[in-house]
Amino acid sequence: MRTVEVLIVISIITAAFLIASFYAVLPSPRQVSPLNLNRLALTTLESLDNNYALSTTAFEPVTNYRWSALQAALSASLPPNIVYNLTVYGLTSSSSPVMINSISNAASLGIGSDAASYLATSSNVTFNVTPQKISGRRGGTLYILNCSDANGWWITGYTSQQLAQDLGNMLSPYFQKTIMVNKTSQLGQILNGTKITTSSLENVTGAVIINTCGECVPIPSGYYATQGSQDGYAKYGWILGQKVQKYNWTWASIVGYPFYYVSNTGLFPNSQNGWGIYGMNQVGSAGLNAFLEGLDNQSYVNNGNWITDSLSGHVYLSSKAIYNSNYYGIYPSPYQTATRALQTFITTTYHLTISTYVFNTVGNDNPGALYRHGTSGGFLALGLDRPPDIRLTALGLLSDYQPRIFNSLYTANGTSRLVVLQLGQVGGV
Amino acid sequence: MVSSTIDHLVAVTLFIGALLLFVGMFNQTIQTAVLFQQHSYIATKCSDLLDDMLLNPGYPANWGQTDTTPSSFGVQDPEFTQYQSSAFTLMRLQSSNGTAVTYSKTGLTYSNTTTSFGNFLLVPYTKTINYYQAENLLGLNNTFGFHLTITPVLKVAITENRANWPTSLNFTINTTGTGFPLPNATLNYYFLNVTEKGAITPPSYKIFNGTAYTDYRGQTQLTFGNAGDSYALIVYAHSSGVSGLGYYEHITSTTNYPLPLIASFKNQTLILAHSYDIHSYGSPAPVFFNATLMILTQNLNLRAMPMGSSNGITGSINYGNGQPYSTLTIPTSNPSILIITYASSSGYGVILMPWGLSSMSFPLVFGGNVNNKEWVATNIREITVNGISYQAQLELWSQTAIQLVT
Repeated sequence: MRTVEVLIVISIITAAFLIASFYAVLPSPRQVSPLNLNRLALTTLESLDNNYALSTTAFEPVTNYRWSALQAALSASLPPNIVYNLTVYGLTSSSSPVMINSISNAASLGIGSDAASYLATSSNVTFNVTPQKISGRRGGTLYILNCSDANGWWITGYTSQQLAQDLGNMLSPYFQKTIMVNKTSQLGQILNGTKITTSSLENVTGAVIINTCGECVPIPSGYYATQGSQDGYAKYGWILGQKVQKYNWTWASIVGYPFYYVSNTGLFPNSQNGWGIYGMNQVGSAGLNAFLEGLDNQSYVNNGNWITDSLSGHVYLSSKAIYNSNYYGIYPSPYQTATRALQTFITTTYHLTISTYVFNTVGNDNPGALYRHGTSGGFLALGLDRPPDIRLTALGLLSDYQPRIFNSLYTANGTSRLVVLQLGQVGGV
Repeated sequence: MVSSTIDHLVAVTLFIGALLLFVGMFNQTIQTAVLFQQHSYIATKCSDLLDDMLLNPGYPANWGQTDTTPSSFGVQDPEFTQYQSSAFTLMRLQSSNGTAVTYSKTGLTYSNTTTSFGNFLLVPYTKTINYYQAENLLGLNNTFGFHLTITPVLKVAITENRANWPTSLNFTINTTGTGFPLPNATLNYYFLNVTEKGAITPPSYKIFNGTAYTDYRGQTQLTFGNAGDSYALIVYAHSSGVSGLGYYEHITSTTNYPLPLIASFKNQTLILAHSYDIHSYGSPAPVFFNATLMILTQNLNLRAMPMGSSNGITGSINYGNGQPYSTLTIPTSNPSILIITYASSSGYGVILMPWGLSSMSFPLVFGGNVNNKEWVATNIREITVNGISYQAQLELWSQTAIQLVT
C-alpha cells in the first residue's frame, strides 16, 4: 500500500517537473550573450559620417552614384554575418518624416534585430553669425598701427604689416570702423585728435589702438619727435600715455616690454636697436614708466626701473579668457611663456584697475591683463615671450569689450535627414 | 506482518531513489539558469566595458603622448568626441601577440607590433601599458579578463609582378572590407623609388604619387616605369566614409638595416639601432641611412615634413660594443610615417615606421589569453583612428566563474 502511495508521489513530482520545465523556457545562446547591434549600428553610422560622406549622400538624389558607394561601404565595414537595412527619412516641420531611400542587403533581418538613428545635416546650410558692433562711449573705431615707415621688434617671424592684416581680419567685424594707420604721420594726426579718413564712423575718442610693432612704438617726426626726444625718447611714452587718457583710448601692446624702442625709418636712418635693426632707437625700460605716468596724468619723471619679471614655467589663460575663447571661436594655446610680466604694484602706483585678466596672476606679476585708469584710458599689456600670437590680443580686447554674437536660427525646412540603420544577425542560434 | 515490512522497505527505497533523482533533475535546471544569467551578465559587462574604453580618453587625457602611466584607462582621442580613438594611446598598449625584442645598448625590452619586415613598431615596455595595469585601471581587479583587438576595417593588399622589371613594374591592389570587397574606392598612392648611391652613402628616393580607382571587384592595377631594385608603395583607399591603408616594400637585403625603436612619446624621440645588435642575422656591416617624415593630411594625402633639414636626416650606425645608436626627434605630434632608406655592403632598401598606430593602418592585439575560458562574450564597435576606419572587438570572460556541482 505504501509502495502505491510512493508511486503516486513520484507521479506527482514528475508531473510537477514536467510542468515546470515546460514553462521555464531558457533563452537561446544568442539571447543570452547578444552582440550589441544597437551600438554597432550607431558606431557604423558615425564612422561612415567621419568625413561627412553619409551626410552628403543622404541629400543626394536616389539615382546618384553615392548611394551605391554607401551600400558598398556598409557591406565592406560590417561583419559578414550581419544584415542591414538603412533608411533615410526627410524631416520637415509640417509633416511626418518622409522616406527618401532605403538600401538593404537581405530580404529580412532574421529573428532579432536592433536599430540606431543618426541625424544628418545638409552641407548647404549656412549659419550666419552677426557680431554686435562695439560703439558709443565704448569706442567703435579700431586703429591698427601698420606704419610702413616703422619697424617692429620681438615680432620674430612676422612683419608688423602681416600682423596688422590678420588683426584687421579678426577684429573688424566687431568694430564700427577699422582703420589701418599706414604711416607715422597718420599716427601724428590721431595723436592730435584728428580723423584720418572721411568716414563718419571714424571716432578718435574712445578708440582702440593696437601697436603691431611689438616692443617698438612708431613715432611721428616733427612735433612729437621733438617733444618726446627727452631722455632718449622716453618722454614720447609719457606723451602717448597722456593722449591715451585724454582721448580715452585703449592702447594694446601685443608682446614683450612695451615702449622699449621708438621707430621711424626716416627719423633714425642710421640708428639701430642694438641688434642690427635700423630705423629705431632704444629707449629702454623708462619708456613704459613714462607711459604709465602720462596715463595717470603725473608729471614726467625719467624712471629707468625695470618693472616686469621673467616667469619660469607656463602661464595660463584666465577662466574668463577661456570662456571667451569658446564664445568668439579664437583658440590660442591656453598656456604661454611670459618673460615680461608686469608687476602688480603698478595698479596702485598709477591708479589702475584690472578690468580683464587675460592670464592668471602669478605671484606679484600679471602676465597679461587689460588695465583701466580711474579717470579714462586703458592699456592692454601682454608680457609674453616672442613670437607674438595676435589671437591673444584679439581675445584680450574681446574679453574686455564683450560684444555679443547673434547666431542665425536654425529652422530651415529640409536641412536635416534622419538615417536609421537596422542590423540583424544571420546564422547560428 | 512480513508483507507490511517488505512494502515499507520497497516504498522507502523507491522514495529515496526518486528523491535523489528529482533533486538532480531540478538542480540541473537551476544550474543551467544560473549559468545563463551569469553569461548574460558577462555579455552586458562586455558591451559596457568596450564603451568605457572607447568613450573615455583616460587621465591625463593626453597620456598617449606622455611617458607616464595614466591614472584612468581609456583610448578615446581627447580632441574628438564619440568613437574616435587616439593613434598614440593605442600605440602605448603592449602588444599581446608580437615577440618582444631586447636591445642590450638600452637594456630595455620592446613590445613588438611589427606587421612584417620593413614595417616596424617597437615600443619599450617601460613606456607601454600592459594588460595587468589596464585591468587595474579599469577596476576589473581579477574579476574579469579581456582581450581587445583593434583591426583595420579595410585591408589594402598589394601584390607585385616583376615580370617586366625594370622596364615596368606592376602592382595589383585589392581592397577588402571585413565583409565584402570595396568597389569603386578612390586610391591615393605614393611610390617611393629608392636610388642606390653605394655602400657607404645613404640612398635617396623620389616619390611618384597619383590617384586610381578600384573596379567592381575592389581591384586595380598600378604600373610604374624605371623602378630601381628597392622601392615602397603606400596606398590609401577610401570610399563613402570607409578608409584604410596598405603598403609594400621591396628591398635587396634583410640584413644590416636600421631598426627604429621608440625612446620617448613625450619628447617624440626615436632610437635607430643596428639590426645586428638585436637579431644577429648575417655578416654585420655599417649601415648608412636617410630618414624623412611624411605626415598624413586630413584629405588622406602624404606631405613631407622637414626633419632636421629639408632633405631629411642622414647618418650611419655600426654594430657591436662602443658603437652608439642614432637618435631622431619627430618634429610633429600628428600621426605620420617615418621613411628610412638605408644602404650597407650587403644591400639597400627602405623601411617604414608609423608614428601613431593608424598612420600605417597597424592592427593591435591587447589583453589576456582567451583560450580555455568557460564562456567568452564578444562585442564590436566601428571606430575611427585619425581618419582610418577600424573595428574594435572586445572579448570578455569572468575570472571568478560560479563553481557549480556537476
